[in-house]
Order: sequence, then structure tokens, then C-alpha cells
Amino acid sequence: MRKALLALLIIGIVGLSIGYYQWNKPKENMETSKAEATVDAAQLLTEYSANEEAANAKYLGKTIAVKGQVKESSKEDGTVKVMLETGQDFGVYCTLDSLAQHVRTNFPFGETIVLKGKCDGLNLDVQLSRCVETKQ
Amino acid sequence: MQKLCTFAALLLLATGPLTAQRFFTRDAHVYFNATSSLEKIEATTKSGTCVLDTKTGKMEWKVLVKGFQMEKALMQEHFNENYMESSKFPSAQFKGAITNLSEVNFTQDGKYSAQVKGLLTMHGVTKDVNLSGTVKVNKGSISLFSSFIVLPGDYDISIPSLVREKIAKEIKVSVEALLQPMK
Repeated sequence: MRKALLALLIIGIVGLSIGYYQWNKPKENMETSKAEATVDAAQLLTEYSANEEAANAKYLGKTIAVKGQVKESSKEDGTVKVMLETGQDFGVYCTLDSLAQHVRTNFPFGETIVLKGKCDGLNLDVQLSRCVETKQ
Repeated sequence: MQKLCTFAALLLLATGPLTAQRFFTRDAHVYFNATSSLEKIEATTKSGTCVLDTKTGKMEWKVLVKGFQMEKALMQEHFNENYMESSKFPSAQFKGAITNLSEVNFTQDGKYSAQVKGLLTMHGVTKDVNLSGTVKVNKGSISLFSSFIVLPGDYDISIPSLVREKIAKEIKVSVEALLQPMK
């Protein structure tokens, strides 16, 4: 009887600990998150324009690396955003990760860079959140 | 007649921002708060799009659900997977028009109250909504603000009884967009 109670207590404590850990688990570290796909900005937008559903099946919610030329970059209330050129009306709009340490937050116009982030889908532009710059 | 139309169109293009009637942003803020007495639940995205036609008062807003950032990883997972099902329904949008357009002067700096009627779509469900908000005109740019309440049940979002007490019954939503003339 005592053993059974002890076992229950241990199970209870383990269960609570797992629950507590799950509840407070840290957000994914984007610096170490592995890109599931690498794609050019123009290619990404073209795929989305051609078939949003198919592109979502391929990219939505995943960490992807996107290569492109800086068309515009902005800072507002500490949020850094970079628009990657696609040669089309819309681009690939990337928001830098507020939790990561960035080597730089200034991106000169025309420079070719690679940003790795979460693909949120198509909203005129293809949008990426939680981006970090990676090596080409 | 056709020539006249072409001329008029060219004239409109030539005069640029002064006569711009379409205003746009891709940096609209959308914030919601579902905090209950037991749990703090907040999320924000700063990447909403908004287009406003000042001549007709028509507007369209769109946000990507996966763009909402929350403090806790698990909460954000539940929000996406269990409640909004963002892989199936990636965006939320509002299409509507200002109904008291005569009371809003887009060519004069100032603050105006606006009534907006339209369709709000999220989680694959579209509902008629009437919202009130503020239009601020300042040196050629236009800001839009509104706060409203969303009931999860209206959009077929079911909350399991186990966590029902942790999530507010009424979700407070605030939106804010600073629009620039469309190029």
C-alpha cells in the first residue's frame, strides 16, 4: 500500500514537472533552427502567386532560408523589417526575430542577403517572421 | 470621349499624391487580448495589410494568423493548432466600408469618428460586423484605429471545458494602421 502511494506520488511529481516544463518551454531558437528549404525571393513569390495552396503546403509554418536583394529596410519601435526584391510588384517581407542576437540590423539597399525565418504565408507579399541573417 | 478619358486619367496620374484616393500599408498592427483572471493571453502582429479608398470609403484588412507572436511557445502552438487552425485557415480578413463617409474629410487634417460595416472572416467563417473607429488625417497620411470584441463561438472556435476558465469569453481586438498614398 505504501509502495503504491509512493509510486503515485512520484508519477504525480513527474507529471507536474513535465506539465510545468511544457508550459514554460522556451520558444524555438531561430539561430539554431534548421532551414527545411532554401529558395530565392523571386522564386518564392512566383510559387505563391501561381498556387497559394500548394506553396502553403510546401512552406507554411516552416523555417526557410530566402535569398534576395534588399529593396527596403525599416526600423519601427525596435522592429526591424527587410523587403527582399523579387522584380515583381510585391516582395518577400521579413521581420527580424526580436528574441535573437543580430550581428547587424542595417541592410544596405541592393545587397544580396539570406534571411532564415518562419514562413507565415501570402499577404500581398510573402511574409516571414522571426528572421535571422545566415551565411549564403 | 475616349481621348477625354485618357486625358483625365493622365491628369490624375500626373497630380500624384495630392489626388491619391488609395492609401495603403503593410505594417498594420493587430493586437488581441484574451486575458482571464487565471491567465495572461496576448498576441500581436505588426505585418497586417490595409488598403483604403478615400473616395468610396471601402477598406480591406488582412493578417496572417501565423504572424501573431505570443510570449509563451506552448500558448502560441495551441493558438495556431487547436483554435485558429492556421495551417488550414492561414489568414483573417476584414472587407468593409465607412458608412458615415460624409462626416470624414480626408483632405483636412483632423480626427474623425467613423462607422464601418463589413465582413470579418477568420477560421473559415465570415460574419457581418459593425465597427466604430477613428480616422486621423495628418499631412497627407491617414491613420485608422479601432477596438472591438470577438466571440470565439461566432467563428466556430471551440474552447475545451478544461481550459474554458483560462480564456476570456470576449476577446478584445485592437487594430491600428498608418496609411500612405499608394504609388
